[in-house]
Amino acid sequence: MPNSPLFIEIGTHQQQKHGEDCFGDTIFSKKIPEEQRIISILSDGLGSGVKANILSSMTTRMAMKFVESNMELLRSSEVMMDALPICQVRKISYATFSIVDSELEGKTRIFEMDNPPFIFIRDGKPFNVKSKELSSAKWKDRTINISQLTTQEEDRIILMSDGVTQAGLGNKKYPLGWQRQGCLDFVLAEIRKNPHISAHDLAQAIVREAIEKEVDKQAGDDISCVVLYFRKPRKLLVLTGPPFDEDKDKEIAELVSYYDGKTAICGGTTSNIIERELCLKCEIDKTSFDPKIPAASKMNGIDLVTEGILTLTEVYRMLKEGVDENSNNAAVRLAKLLLSSDKIDFVVGTKINIAHQDPNLPMELEIRRNIVKKIFRLLQERYLKEISVRYV
Amino acid sequence: MEKVKVRICLGTSCFVMGASQIQELEFNVPEDIAGKIELVEERCMKLCDNVKDKYVKGPFVMVNDELIEEATYEKVINKVRQVLQDNCQ
Repeated sequence: MPNSPLFIEIGTHQQQKHGEDCFGDTIFSKKIPEEQRIISILSDGLGSGVKANILSSMTTRMAMKFVESNMELLRSSEVMMDALPICQVRKISYATFSIVDSELEGKTRIFEMDNPPFIFIRDGKPFNVKSKELSSAKWKDRTINISQLTTQEEDRIILMSDGVTQAGLGNKKYPLGWQRQGCLDFVLAEIRKNPHISAHDLAQAIVREAIEKEVDKQAGDDISCVVLYFRKPRKLLVLTGPPFDEDKDKEIAELVSYYDGKTAICGGTTSNIIERELCLKCEIDKTSFDPKIPAASKMNGIDLVTEGILTLTEVYRMLKEGVDENSNNAAVRLAKLLLSSDKIDFVVGTKINIAHQDPNLPMELEIRRNIVKKIFRLLQERYLKEISVRYV
Repeated sequence: MEKVKVRICLGTSCFVMGASQIQELEFNVPEDIAGKIELVEERCMKLCDNVKDKYVKGPFVMVNDELIEEATYEKVINKVRQVLQDNCQ
């Protein structure tokens, strides 16, 4: 295994067909840390709404199980097609899929059935990958394309549903839709503009652009996109809470000054300790005023300084429900910093702040250890971040 | 004339007990004291460490050298007016 394996950032974005309550496409990604492996699946169910959602959800879940257990794919896809419920109208069972199975050393396989072919970008240019076609004896009209490649730093793989390539279909300007080429040109232009654009931002930009092409800017089909971005991990150190033992103050301050990545400090007392130990000056950042969240502060060499519990509680809420795009308060800044990092090291001081134990204070003043635990679980499970936690 | 220094504690407990409303002084100051105060937001003045023995409770605001406990926007403004008046005499 190479010394520093590449990190795979997965960014996804979806828009359901206009008028539907739920997504007809499903995206499901999973990290298997023991095997240094990541699997990401996009499936498009027949039709739209609930029926399509059931078809695509079943497909992604089944496919994940099969790929995870290294089952032979042709046989697996036959099982999947047999298992899917048959549409009353069309009398067929059907959902497409694109699967990326990537090991962190670089070996990556891509399996596709009936979705628009994936886009692979290397050095800012599209790169053609040879594929092999397999067809099932049982389902003659279904073929699966298998591609294999070895990924390098700064490579990107983009999966999309036909909602992206067919966006704008029927529109005068795009009688045949945006097409894969249109999407590819857009992706190349975005990467030229910002060569390190995150997977999340690129997926969002693609879906938004597809919607722009649509008649009345309303999605005519489910539009989904997955971007996998292979890159060096972006590291973040989050320091929160004073150490239980004051003798450790110096040690954690040194951690901050020698850390080879970005640093965030959450907590008034914690920032006082760092300010004192490293002889830094800390000032309130008046651009972050908000009636709900205490303001952020500026400290030289530290990327973000915030209050502790209230900010972390709000960050947890936003990680669950979505980051508030209209605000620039300390919690929004911290949530964005967490989401734009790949490897996050939490150092949590366990000293209890007596002033927070007053029963007259609101219930949301949780114990730091609990809220941090909730945050890192969410970052690990939903956002597939690599997390380490150390209690001091 | 020297400005009146108003230090607001924005530590967690002060913030939830009402300091968030006192922050309003950044944007909304009554005309008679506008330009006469110097506002400083502190991350935490550490007064809550002694809440039982020494102080009653937050939010804590210092107006010059005087501590206001259970501070509110009105209490702070009244104190500033009083200090300004005392200075004139």
